[in-house]
Amino acid sequence: MNRMGLILIAMVVQAGFAAPMAFGEEPVWAERNASIGSVEQLPSGELDKKRLDALLAVGEDLFEAKFTAKDGAGRPAATQAIIPTKARHRPTSSSARLSGPDANGCSACHNDPVVGGAGDFVTNVFVSEGFSNADFDTSDPQFSNERGTNHLFGAGLVELLAREMSADLATLRASALRQSKLQQKPVRIALLSKDVSFGHITALPDGLVDLTEVDGVDTDLVVRPFSQKGVMTSLRQFTVNAMNHHHGMQAVERYGSRWTGEPDFDEDGRANELSAADISALVAWQATLPPPGQKKFTDTAWKEAATQGALVFSDLKCAQCHRPSLPLNSLKFNDPGPFDVAGTLNQDQVETSATYDLGLMEWARKLPRDIQGRALVPLFGDLKRHKMTDRRIAALGNELLSQRFVGRDIFMTSELWGIGSTAPYGHRNDFSSLDEIILAHGGAARSSRDAYEAADANSKSSLIAYLRSL
Amino acid sequence: MRNLSKFLTVWSLPFLVATAGSVRAEEAFVFDVPSMSEEAESAGLEHSYEGPWEYFVGGGVASFDCNGDRMPDLFMAAGTAPSQLFLNRSKVGGALQFEKRALELSQRDQSKVLGVYPVNIDNDAYTDLVLLRLGENIILKGGADCRFTKSNREFSFDGGRAWSTAFAATWEKASSYPTLAFGNYVDRSAPGSPWGTCEANVLARPQKSGEMPNYGEPFTLQPGHCALSVLFTDWNRSGTPALRVTNDRQYYRGGQEQLWRIPQQGSPRQYSRNQGWKPLRIWGMGIAEADLDQDGHPEYALSSMGDTMLQTLDPEAEGERPTYRDDAYAKQMTAHRPYTGTDLKPSTGWHTQFADFNNDARTDLFIAKGNVEAMPDFAAFDPDNLLMGGADGKFYEQGEKAGIALDRRGRGAAVVDFNADGMLDLVVVNRKGPASLFRNRGTRTEWGYRPMGNWVGIELKNGLVNSAGIGAKITVKTGNVTQSRTIQIGGGHASGQLGFVHFGLGVAERAKIRVQWPDGDWSHEYRVFANNFVQIPRGKADALYWYPAPKE
Repeated sequence: MNRMGLILIAMVVQAGFAAPMAFGEEPVWAERNASIGSVEQLPSGELDKKRLDALLAVGEDLFEAKFTAKDGAGRPAATQAIIPTKARHRPTSSSARLSGPDANGCSACHNDPVVGGAGDFVTNVFVSEGFSNADFDTSDPQFSNERGTNHLFGAGLVELLAREMSADLATLRASALRQSKLQQKPVRIALLSKDVSFGHITALPDGLVDLTEVDGVDTDLVVRPFSQKGVMTSLRQFTVNAMNHHHGMQAVERYGSRWTGEPDFDEDGRANELSAADISALVAWQATLPPPGQKKFTDTAWKEAATQGALVFSDLKCAQCHRPSLPLNSLKFNDPGPFDVAGTLNQDQVETSATYDLGLMEWARKLPRDIQGRALVPLFGDLKRHKMTDRRIAALGNELLSQRFVGRDIFMTSELWGIGSTAPYGHRNDFSSLDEIILAHGGAARSSRDAYEAADANSKSSLIAYLRSL
Repeated sequence: MRNLSKFLTVWSLPFLVATAGSVRAEEAFVFDVPSMSEEAESAGLEHSYEGPWEYFVGGGVASFDCNGDRMPDLFMAAGTAPSQLFLNRSKVGGALQFEKRALELSQRDQSKVLGVYPVNIDNDAYTDLVLLRLGENIILKGGADCRFTKSNREFSFDGGRAWSTAFAATWEKASSYPTLAFGNYVDRSAPGSPWGTCEANVLARPQKSGEMPNYGEPFTLQPGHCALSVLFTDWNRSGTPALRVTNDRQYYRGGQEQLWRIPQQGSPRQYSRNQGWKPLRIWGMGIAEADLDQDGHPEYALSSMGDTMLQTLDPEAEGERPTYRDDAYAKQMTAHRPYTGTDLKPSTGWHTQFADFNNDARTDLFIAKGNVEAMPDFAAFDPDNLLMGGADGKFYEQGEKAGIALDRRGRGAAVVDFNADGMLDLVVVNRKGPASLFRNRGTRTEWGYRPMGNWVGIELKNGLVNSAGIGAKITVKTGNVTQSRTIQIGGGHASGQLGFVHFGLGVAERAKIRVQWPDGDWSHEYRVFANNFVQIPRGKADALYWYPAPKE
């Protein structure tokens, strides 16, 4: 059965039985998205390809949906904050370009070059904590950080890499604590996972851990791979956040009665807007998106330049942070996952998580493998945060607000896969060319940036050709 | 037009009702209720608080770490029976487990103990204990490997001969050692005892000189009104705590609740009616403090027979005067009679403690309940209360659903995370036993237990003097929500605790922490991630995280 057929079945089931209806039976043309609530049970256990495809069909439908007031779009009484927060003032309109809700659906922004992709400057979003000054109407950076829309291709692989790295770091921490207790002296260890260094910790014999030398990751040693800042743990967390922020569609698992005492926290007349199963469908669809592929140029000159550019990329030490690939032990994606905390469903909050074997996806067969059989995820990133400005090169330090404990000029290494088809660039989407964004690299990337600036025209050109192949 | 609008109104009514019905009405308490599983027997915690009339009151427990593993151990008063020390052997997130450890104390010193509080008096590496006894009070100096030595002589401390039932400690400014307050009950040797013969209370300030604390010149707090709980509290944000005393009207004549001003220099003086203090006469059994409305002025839950009181500073009182009004009824926390069973007589409340049992960032209140002995006018079946904080600022009784509604006579208690899983457990001393030890399993579901909200456990490292930071105020901010706790030794009913200070964080995955140290200095902001135990060392830029030993 093809995907469209499954969608139709889901819609029929939805229309017939599953919808929570405000006015009794609704006609099929009612201005509601039938996919909401169509997955009635939270997925659990390992899904075979057929069940996974059915779930993905709903997830895709939800991702492409244009949410309506009848769905629960809008949040007149709630702010965009990730902690449920009541608005001090009711907005005069149901949507607001800056403080949100700023879109009717995910694909309104994530659509370049196709649905699930990035977005142009016009899709920039304005990130603020949403606690005070939640209803700002200015792009003045003292109220929000303006961010471009990232693409989601390969996002499942990214989250799996981050989970494995987090697990590695936790294991290293436990080992240091054991050694310290055994030796009855402080033990300082390097935090290294997948050959990416996250600094050092010092474990003390009494179980304390000194975290002052941790670098590029949060002090709980959880690698948070999503957002320009690297502050989102999982696709699930990001989805719950974004649904509220951008659409005013509130997920029960955070905005429901269990945490807020109200089934309709945003007071838009629609209770329990998105179930945990709805969120699962969205997560499944995003997690199984194929990773961006590398272009195979037919033009000989371009082909030769790109080949040469790969060498320049290495010579200029771009790959120190933009790692061409990171090894992944397992393609089994569990949702809810292991590192989310209360407010986002996690594996301890459910009887059994669902497992999506990404290996079932057609694209997974094309992933290269190392000699240990591990998939090599070609993300061109290190899932680590770096300081991106210095005294002279500070264009990427244009924000005024730190985000979730991360300094204003510190960002997660951008994964370069897909960069050839997702211009413009930079966290604000305000660099129109690759040359500009390379020259904007300061701070930890300064030496590579300077080497690029000093390189001959041919090398620069080749590097651009290579990047445009990604 | 008029008819049309009438028609429309009637016609649309069912639709309006239907629309409203699409948003289900909120149930009384929709938040997580912890499932508290009673594990005393399997945990190896065999204990009973025994004794005749003098032991109708008391029955305390101290929770603290005596062996350096940061897992809370227990010292339990047993009345006429020997006190007991239990070392915590629980594994992270696992069943509670305790190992009884023999005390190297004389039979005399181990018995006749009504209450016990932990406090590091001499600023060494070990927590000491103050034993409240029928007769001489005792300071036990803590040592390595949970060894305790009677140190009254070493600290020039005269334990007296009173019937002591309450204790509190504070570090007055510039003092190297704590000031100790002892609340005493009935003077049994006075003519006419027990009626109207309340013993005076005692304030023991350390002498200024010497490398060891010297409590050789105690001050008598006269009059005493049969205190059952005392607490140093900075009620007016002055930086100089006063002493709040709750008294049992059962035996006093002309007595009332008390608040003593404890000036840095000079003698303590009781706040009078002229200064705004309104007389309150209750069967005061226990004090718990929390700043429920985050206005900087703490509220006090006072247990009693019948209504529990919630004393909140009257905003209409002139200036900073200690004029309190009772807010318990409005907050639904009077807990005046059993919430389950058929016995509708008034309750008898003892230990009170504010804590967040379900980690939803809302403060809950635990009250130990139990008939004095066989008082016919009060409930015989009188289960402990678990009043859970709601989003509306009111409290909702959930003791039965949580599983703590046992037919026992509660006295002292401690709300502590014994297995380092981030969920607060509970130990209750029961008169004539057995003690109750509840493990917080999280919320019960069809398939098992699931954890509740996020949390953080905070330990302060104040420096060489008062290392635990007694008197410090910890403020935790998540989103627009601010919570605060003051580290106190005192209050409750004959019971105290030292260790990580627990905050529930709800759905917040990060928290900002600031500390107002006991000398009044504020720390900078510490930023920590949820679901961790952290240590905040004074003057250091960053918090350290602490990890309990993993399961073997």
